[in-house]
Amino acid sequence: MTSPLRIVIVGGGSAGWMCAAACAQVLPPQRYSITLIESDEIGTVGVGEATLPALKDFNDLLGIDESAFMRATQGTFKLGIEFRNWDRPGDHYIHPFGSFGQLWGGVEFQHHWMRARKLGLNPAPLEEYCSAIRACRRNAFDFPDTRSIRSTFYGYAYHFDAGLYANFLRTWAIARGVQRIEGQVIDVALNGESGNVETLTFKSGEKLSGDFFVDCSGFRSLLVGDKLQVPWEDWSEWLPCDRAWAVPCERSADFTPFTRSIAQRGGWIWRIPLQHRTGNGHVFSTRFISEDEARATLLAQLDGRAQMEPKMLRFRAGRRAQAWKKNCVALGLASGFLEPLESTSLFLIQKAVQDMMRLIPAPEAGGVDVRLVGEFNRLSDALYERIRDFLILHYVANRRLGEPLWDHVRTYPLPDSLTHKLRLFDSRGHVPFFKDGFFSRDSWLAVLFGQGLVPQTYDRLADFLPADQLAEKLSDLHGRVAIHVADMPTHAELIASYCGQPAPARAAST
Amino acid sequence: MTALKNLVIVGADAPAWLSACVLHYALAPAGVNVSVVELPSRVRPADVFATLPALEPLHTRLRIDEAKLIGATRGTFTLGKLFTDSTAHAAPFFHAYGSTGTRIEKKEFLPHWLKAQRAGFPVGFEAFCLTAAAARHGRMLVPDPEIEGFGFTDYGYHLPAIPYGAWLKALALRRGVLVQPAQSVASRMNPGGDIESLDLDGGRQVVGDFFLDVTGGDARLIGAGLGVGAESWRASFVADRALVAFGAPLPAAPIYSEVRACAQGWVALQASQVCTHLLHVYASDAYSKEGGSDEAALQSLARMARMELRDAAIRPLDPGRRVNAWERNCVAIGEAACRFDPIHGVDLQAVQVGLVHLLPLFPVAADYAVERAEYNQNVRATFERIRDFQHAHYLLNRYGDSAFWRRARAAPPGRELAHKIDAFRARGDVVYYEDETFAIDDWQALLLGHGVMPETYDPAVDRTSQDVVEREFRRILEFIGKKVGEQVSHAEYLQTVCAPPDAGARSAARGVA
Repeated sequence: MTSPLRIVIVGGGSAGWMCAAACAQVLPPQRYSITLIESDEIGTVGVGEATLPALKDFNDLLGIDESAFMRATQGTFKLGIEFRNWDRPGDHYIHPFGSFGQLWGGVEFQHHWMRARKLGLNPAPLEEYCSAIRACRRNAFDFPDTRSIRSTFYGYAYHFDAGLYANFLRTWAIARGVQRIEGQVIDVALNGESGNVETLTFKSGEKLSGDFFVDCSGFRSLLVGDKLQVPWEDWSEWLPCDRAWAVPCERSADFTPFTRSIAQRGGWIWRIPLQHRTGNGHVFSTRFISEDEARATLLAQLDGRAQMEPKMLRFRAGRRAQAWKKNCVALGLASGFLEPLESTSLFLIQKAVQDMMRLIPAPEAGGVDVRLVGEFNRLSDALYERIRDFLILHYVANRRLGEPLWDHVRTYPLPDSLTHKLRLFDSRGHVPFFKDGFFSRDSWLAVLFGQGLVPQTYDRLADFLPADQLAEKLSDLHGRVAIHVADMPTHAELIASYCGQPAPARAAST
Repeated sequence: MTALKNLVIVGADAPAWLSACVLHYALAPAGVNVSVVELPSRVRPADVFATLPALEPLHTRLRIDEAKLIGATRGTFTLGKLFTDSTAHAAPFFHAYGSTGTRIEKKEFLPHWLKAQRAGFPVGFEAFCLTAAAARHGRMLVPDPEIEGFGFTDYGYHLPAIPYGAWLKALALRRGVLVQPAQSVASRMNPGGDIESLDLDGGRQVVGDFFLDVTGGDARLIGAGLGVGAESWRASFVADRALVAFGAPLPAAPIYSEVRACAQGWVALQASQVCTHLLHVYASDAYSKEGGSDEAALQSLARMARMELRDAAIRPLDPGRRVNAWERNCVAIGEAACRFDPIHGVDLQAVQVGLVHLLPLFPVAADYAVERAEYNQNVRATFERIRDFQHAHYLLNRYGDSAFWRRARAAPPGRELAHKIDAFRARGDVVYYEDETFAIDDWQALLLGHGVMPETYDPAVDRTSQDVVEREFRRILEFIGKKVGEQVSHAEYLQTVCAPPDAGARSAARGVA
């Protein structure tokens, strides 16, 4: 029998341990051995992390118990993101993990809603036809009921401490056979013939050879960037933020089931409620605001006492032109960086890990198969570009006139793909649809409307509904959403009873 | 709410009438008038549409009663296509309209089967397809909760082209579509270059705001009128002739079509309730040794079908795609937008693609440049992915060394198809692009059917114990045997559920045709 393919993961942190845990769960141990190298001397970026609903699928793949995971990571629930001041100061909207209304006659809800406005039927604001948003407005949360459709569909994600999540996965993965090596990589040697990565040398002088490498070394991108010289594609003209200050503060009374993102003069501030504290950060661009000013802005806006000195992270928006080269896959920050505006960091890791496991070389194949590398990179390219367009959307459609950052992003030429989408929405409220559903129609809808864009008209396919029936359907749906949401416990109550700590406190039921 | 009030559809037969029904259904409530300039029919008794499963939900949306439609048109059901080889080089395979196997421990079926097969497991992939098994046994497949839990199964129709067109026309007229017959049509432009009106038979005029060109390969409006050219796909497809004819009905109408490879090309046998529709697709030079190629093709078809041919007619084939399916205020639908090779019978599917993409982009204001750009981009990609599926059938053939099939193997694939075949060969992974018409199951059936055997499989399946896999394999095979046994035969279903309309109704149908 062929000896196992030796997978070597360089770097711990979320990317490294998510990869290790998934490989330990999915790949057969008799054919793949998994080693992870991390160094206690190198800190990880781990801050309060907000995620997308797909993370639940990842945890389910590992068979992780949700409440145990949430307890271990100080986790909370997340139904969406609230954007404040992004269009202009004072405005706010929520991008929910759920749908707006329902399809009627195969026609998307926004067209019915726009038509009702045009007909003078005075429908409620669009967000009131979305259970997830209305739950957010009440700081309420409940698990989606997939069996009956009481109102509108939604899913949920988590907030948690990324460092604790990495620890949780580390314990989990080591118990399932992943070998952890303490060490700091100081040299990477390539095979002279194939150009594949072959051997790592540690600071201690020890060496480690492998067949397949996963670069989770963060921004340094030791293998794919430094050694294999995969070029960097710079996206910073579209997404100019290049620093973040991060600081936790004491938990406040405002225990939201959503992330908050508050636009600032030179960037934006995130607020992520965890069980034991609130994670905060200021993502900003040094082209438009100084580091000191950004730090002061962040500290001034905390709604609880800071628990430590703010830490600063440096980055730039963009990605490696190929996430997989030779026998090496880059994951997480080693493959690229997109600011955490839509909580995509862990999703990008998760998706790459799943694709990688499906396309990884067979041990007996004797090397990397370029046909499969091509497929991995194709999937990765498409995902990065779609997320990039979606992030840029938040910036371009702003009316913060006279503020240099916001003037720059409003006027800088867009990727053609995004210009086209904006024109389609403007013309008729048409939103993009992707087969693999990322980002979904409803996500685009939330941000397009949220940023204050108003289509000139609706799709005339909606005309089939007589006006009185339309009014009745809207009112019925509005009522059902309200009743559904009124039944939900508050986020704080649910967290306390489901995964609270240290001892689960029983919440008064509602 | 818009200047666009009058939509004029120009064309004939099922594609034009399907367009009329769909657009009228969707847009009449918005105040759009739909009228049809009906040109002379191009179809013959020998013509049949072997449709893909997507037609059924479209019919349902139009509130078409399936049993009545099949009864009136004397059509049949089809669960897929059986590809055979009269030259005996390649084993037959089914492209069935349904999934194969079930997930085992939440992992796809194919890699489990690939692994077993490498270890010497002797049962073919197709044996795990309920739809293919029902087809081979001549059974309908009426979904029940057990079948729905097992997997995905679907069906198309064999719809004789003349009665199907007549049925759709009657439906359109009943619902308020206006018709003007004409022998010829020419378009007249306004100073801006848009089509302003149509001259019918050199005299009468029809004005309109928006036009659908359903005039087939002639592309009277978008090609002859607006001057939009076509991109040739000749390099991918060897066949340049299609011979249609019909023959005697087969003893029990098969619930699938058979596509039989021969040295000069291929022959399809598609059953209706009253006859067998025959189609022979070939390269004209394949018969050059035998003198007149048309006559030789006729003889060859009669020999292969073992039937006397009736209503035989030969048409040239020239596959290719109109550079823009939507130009100015005119959208080309069907062959005017794209002429496909006849393999897999995608003509009506192409009509449907054109319509379904048009509906959510139908102009709502005087300026619709962005809708047009979106439409052209999506329809182009969709057509190209359909073409890839067809091209793969030729490219991967193992039908011997005749000039036809040799040349088919040599036609270089585009980037997307080459990558798709490569990735499947490497890992059994079906690369799935954004604008696919054929599902992953279809691609698996096609690629495996042509002998593309993946070199490795998804390693995740190694986590499942062999006992579990063997037990599941047995369970699936038993389930298929049991379920097929429970199904009613195609013949019986046609007789009992899709009985022909009574005499009165039949004469009414003839009246509108």
